[in-house]
Amino acid sequence: MKKSLLAIALLAAAFGAAAPLTASAKDISLLNVSYDPTRELYQDFNAAFSKFWLAKTGDKVTVKGSHGGSGKQARAIIDGLDADVATLALAYDVDQLQEKGKLIPKDWQTRLPHNSSPYTSTIVLLVRKGNPKNIKDWDDLVKPGVSVITPNPKTSGGARWNYLAAWAYAQKHDGNDEAKTKEFIGKLFKNVPVLDTGARGSTTTFVERGIGDVLLAWENEAFLAQKELGVGKFEIVVPSLSILAEPPVTVVDKFAKKHGTEVVAKAYLEYLYTEEGQEIAAKNYYRPTLASVAKKYESQFPKVNLVKIDNDFGGWQVAQKKHFADGGTFDQIYQK
Amino acid sequence: MQFKFTKFATALIASGIISLPLAAHANDSSELEELRALVQQLDQKVKILARQGEISAEETAAVKKTTPVVKASENGFGLESADGKNSIKLKGLLQIDNRNFSDVNGLGGDGKNISGFDFRRIRPTIEGTVFGKYDFRFTPEFGEAKTASATSTSGIVDAYIDARFQPSFKVRAGKFKPFVGLERLQSGSDIKFIERSYVSNNILPNRDLGAAIHGDVLEGKLNYSVGIYNGVVDGGDITTVQDTNVDKEYAARLFTTPFKDSDSVLAGLGFGLAATHGNFKGSIATGASGLPAYKTAGQQSSFFAYTTGSVFANGVRERISPQAYYYYGPFGVITEYARVSQDVTNGTISDKLENDAWQIAVSYLLTGEDASFKGVKPIQVFNTDGGGWGAWELVARYQENNIDSKAFQTSSLAPTGYADPRVNASSAKSWATGVNWYLNQNVKVVLNYEQTSFKGGGSSTSGLFTSIADRPDEKALFTRLQLSY
Repeated sequence: MKKSLLAIALLAAAFGAAAPLTASAKDISLLNVSYDPTRELYQDFNAAFSKFWLAKTGDKVTVKGSHGGSGKQARAIIDGLDADVATLALAYDVDQLQEKGKLIPKDWQTRLPHNSSPYTSTIVLLVRKGNPKNIKDWDDLVKPGVSVITPNPKTSGGARWNYLAAWAYAQKHDGNDEAKTKEFIGKLFKNVPVLDTGARGSTTTFVERGIGDVLLAWENEAFLAQKELGVGKFEIVVPSLSILAEPPVTVVDKFAKKHGTEVVAKAYLEYLYTEEGQEIAAKNYYRPTLASVAKKYESQFPKVNLVKIDNDFGGWQVAQKKHFADGGTFDQIYQK
Repeated sequence: MQFKFTKFATALIASGIISLPLAAHANDSSELEELRALVQQLDQKVKILARQGEISAEETAAVKKTTPVVKASENGFGLESADGKNSIKLKGLLQIDNRNFSDVNGLGGDGKNISGFDFRRIRPTIEGTVFGKYDFRFTPEFGEAKTASATSTSGIVDAYIDARFQPSFKVRAGKFKPFVGLERLQSGSDIKFIERSYVSNNILPNRDLGAAIHGDVLEGKLNYSVGIYNGVVDGGDITTVQDTNVDKEYAARLFTTPFKDSDSVLAGLGFGLAATHGNFKGSIATGASGLPAYKTAGQQSSFFAYTTGSVFANGVRERISPQAYYYYGPFGVITEYARVSQDVTNGTISDKLENDAWQIAVSYLLTGEDASFKGVKPIQVFNTDGGGWGAWELVARYQENNIDSKAFQTSSLAPTGYADPRVNASSAKSWATGVNWYLNQNVKVVLNYEQTSFKGGGSSTSGLFTSIADRPDEKALFTRLQLSY
């Protein structure tokens, strides 16, 4: 008996001795799994946060990024991609981390201000210089001969925002006649020659491959294309109606706990709400939520009449089920 | 792609193929506009097709990243997840022996040494990894080894989980080879002789149920292990049923390869020390004596066994085993010693008996391959259609197994010992030589000749405990065809 106890003590001591090897690391690594067009934003933000954290704690943080279609990224995390934080395009994809992966708590959206969306954006139309097809609003996109570039709503969060913005416009103009709205969206997607899996892929299709007359884009992506990817080659058309896009962020609790990075992951997301974090977002053409920074960059962002997902579509759960689930309106109208 | 198509369209216009009609209508600007629009449309279509091809290729690449990989090679067959964290392998070991004994009626005329064919090992193995660090292995036995040991009735050779938390900290639990004997830890497919030495087969544990912490430290140059096991008799292989002994056996081993990965001539040197400590009391009530029987080199019959029914293990059993190997170019040598001290009782008497064994074996590869603790990979595989002759290796070994003199009875009037010297030898000394032919890394042919001489155990003409003859020598010629993958 005594020897058995001794053996157990030895085993426990050995386990105990091994534990500090993981807990005492000063080089911390975080994985931020994000949606497609946030590459530039988080490249700047990660550098700023690493500097901030080093000064604050003396620990070196290296943040790695993974980018892709928001829905695809959510599935990857659920399938085991060890993300410490998820910064996705829409709340429904983050909800999936809770519902299907049990990786985060149910109240994840209340843990940070503004429903855990540190910045917002909207959907605009990017056309070629001189706007050769004279595109001014959504109804110009359904005209014959207009080639529209948008990613696949099944895999891309941005594409779902695009779809819902167009839907909201059509619904308003058709007096809430759903059959007509579906017909409008059907015509729009008939004009889509290529469906990329993510927003960045669509930008590549439109900007670099020279395909299409108009790109349905995140506002930040449109600015980026206009000012950095093809200076002087594109113009932004602000439609009469669009949608308020609120990309949310969350710590992926289960993986962060496993990695021992809960504290730094939380601090990383909280830093997005600071003045410096908001400045970086604004400089990357995301609309800041901090009033002081929003005011400073007010002139950068055009005023748009915006619908909200909660008010006009009953929230993401309802919108997802109706439009993007298997057999939903998108499946009904889109003929590949 | 886009560049090529654009250039192609431009070239068509420039070469006049598309612009031929323009010659007749040079001033017709509307037709020119139509043609321009047509070219632009075609350009868009070409670009769309090219982009769709790109997206399709990206999607194919993405699918490939998540598609499990099927593996089939000389290293085995298996499946592996795209991220490599989960895998399963099918492996196997098949050994078909022909065993010829010159002393068919030897060993006291008990007729146990029977020449003939023998499936020494038939072991399919399923092994793999889950979640990147939890290895498992399951190996049943369908060959002769299933019942080769007097203490083994189990058809399960190995069944364990090995959690690799860090290279320096791993935990193994289940039924496996305790980290003790050097040659025992060498795979059954890689051993140089058809049978392991007395050290492995008669003194140190074969397989046991338990748990061990093990790992490699100092850049992999020092391997350590400590474990707790149910405990087995010398050379024993345990069943997978509930242990009947209250006390357990503890084992520890340190083995170092100090010059590993260097250019030194000592790069292939490894040496270490292993020990076990346990406690076992046999009794008529439990039906277990807790004591071993020591087999001859031929592994068919025993040259020493304690008297049954009255002699029992009576407490502490301790083993110690210094061990070493050295490999340099085609040359290899492995040597180890093991001593066991065992408390025994026989009625009114009890003693601590010390039995030991040692071996030294050398090998030399004639065909230029490097020798190693693991298997041999021929430079040229054997091929009847021309090509190489595989790898050829010469081997030689000397080994002894000695029994404590206190073990033997000196009188039949009262308990004076623990074994009858008239039928049990006090030592076995064997020399062996052989040749191994590795047709490729999966198929091997082995030829061994081993001769063993015994001291005592050859009966007494007077029937008394004096003037006891030596048992006849055991002369064994073994051949083996082995397939392993």
